[in-house]
Amino acid sequence: MGVNTLVKRWIDARDKQPESEYEEVKRKFEMALGTPFITICLEIPVGFENFKIEFLKLEKDQQFHEEVKDLIKKRLLLDSRPKKSS
Amino acid sequence: MDEVQIIFILVYLLTILLSATKIVPMSVGAMIGALLTAWFGLLYGVFGYDQAMGFIDMRLIFLLLGVMIVVEVAERSGLFRFGALYAVKLSGGNPSILFVSVCVIAATVSMFLSDPTAMLLIAAALATITKLLRYDPVPYFISAMIMINLGGTSTLIGSVSNMVIGLQAGITFTDFIGYLAVCELALWGLTIFVLYMLFRKRLGTKKELPDFNPWESIDDKKLFYRSILILALLIILFLTLENLGVGPEAVALGCAVAALAVSGADPTDIFKKLDWETIFFIAGFMFVVGGLQSTGILADISNQLFQSVGQSQLGSAMATLWFSGLASSTVSNIAIALTFSPIIGGVSGLASPAVWSALILGTNLGGATTPFSGAVTMMGIGALKREGISLSFAEFTKVGVITSLIQLGFASFYLIIRFNLWV
Repeated sequence: MGVNTLVKRWIDARDKQPESEYEEVKRKFEMALGTPFITICLEIPVGFENFKIEFLKLEKDQQFHEEVKDLIKKRLLLDSRPKKSS
Repeated sequence: MDEVQIIFILVYLLTILLSATKIVPMSVGAMIGALLTAWFGLLYGVFGYDQAMGFIDMRLIFLLLGVMIVVEVAERSGLFRFGALYAVKLSGGNPSILFVSVCVIAATVSMFLSDPTAMLLIAAALATITKLLRYDPVPYFISAMIMINLGGTSTLIGSVSNMVIGLQAGITFTDFIGYLAVCELALWGLTIFVLYMLFRKRLGTKKELPDFNPWESIDDKKLFYRSILILALLIILFLTLENLGVGPEAVALGCAVAALAVSGADPTDIFKKLDWETIFFIAGFMFVVGGLQSTGILADISNQLFQSVGQSQLGSAMATLWFSGLASSTVSNIAIALTFSPIIGGVSGLASPAVWSALILGTNLGGATTPFSGAVTMMGIGALKREGISLSFAEFTKVGVITSLIQLGFASFYLIIRFNLWV
């Protein structure tokens, strides 16, 4: 076993900084420097429990992502319209 | 050396071994040492219970807690993230300017934040910007680790070891600036220059930066301004401490209360984020050193050390600088500061501004020599690994050894000139 492997194992065992904390700080920089993004957590709709596999596949379904983007565009445009005074 | 002294030395060495190898967490290692010290001390009648209660310097604990609370509030306001984003923006996508900006902001941030927290922030910024501009992150990460270690040296509250030495030596914020400010500034410039020369071919080419506004990263502008005010107040009060008639711990705690009051944050949440591992490590280690001091062995070492360097200030300062520097490259620099402070303070001929300054420089500068040297190097390498980049032991050590030797060499030269040690 080489020195590098030993060092890496030793460091890995002692790198106690929680990954979530690092990811959280990094996310703030990504939001500031790159394209803003949102992360939403959606549960499977009630009554669709039998579609669990299909539901989980949506996370990586590019077509589904595009459909959600279209929905966001519609929503943002709608929100930006001046509201009628009552 | 009698039987009792040998037992206390073995307990001390065990504590050092546990904290250096981290077989158990550092704080637990120090507390095991403290427990053994208490047990043997009371058993052999080396010290009484009341005397043992005085081994832990509560001024240091309060100073640490106060500074940690103020800085935690400032970090929540986004102040340090804002600084990092501004450094990136100022570079305009020029890799050389980005490199220098990153080095300067890394050192500046670590003047206030603890080294691991500073590394977390800078690593996240570097991971994002180097990915965005498709730069090799390794030169930026290694340089940030070395500059964060150096930045902590720069003020009395920049690192825990500085606070330990400052309190033990009675060095004030203004004394510190008077003794070491020029050296620190020169070390920053010299280190950035050396790092730039080592990495200039790997920094990448000029790229277009995305359009971004650092102000957009600040969620609560009121808290942002208030944090700047509290930090400024802390520094001003430290600078004028001599006129106040109180110790630095009182100022730090006062500012901590003000920070908690104006931040509106849940104090429980802030208390949870404090570095309790370091606080318990210091308390435990202070107890071990206190026990060792009671056996009279540290006084013997002080006298022998002073005699062996021919009672010379030059010899004492150089021996302190290089020994503490080399020791800090493997052992926690807090442990080195806690051990050396009573040794230097034990002999009036040793306890001079030159030797205290040598101890401050030595304990800090050795901290980024190898991946094992401190929390900052381990965190930096860990962050790189999360980005899918493996940094070899040799690659870091090659740069770490070069910069540490240059820094210690320059520090030797500075101490000789500043304190007229050649006379």
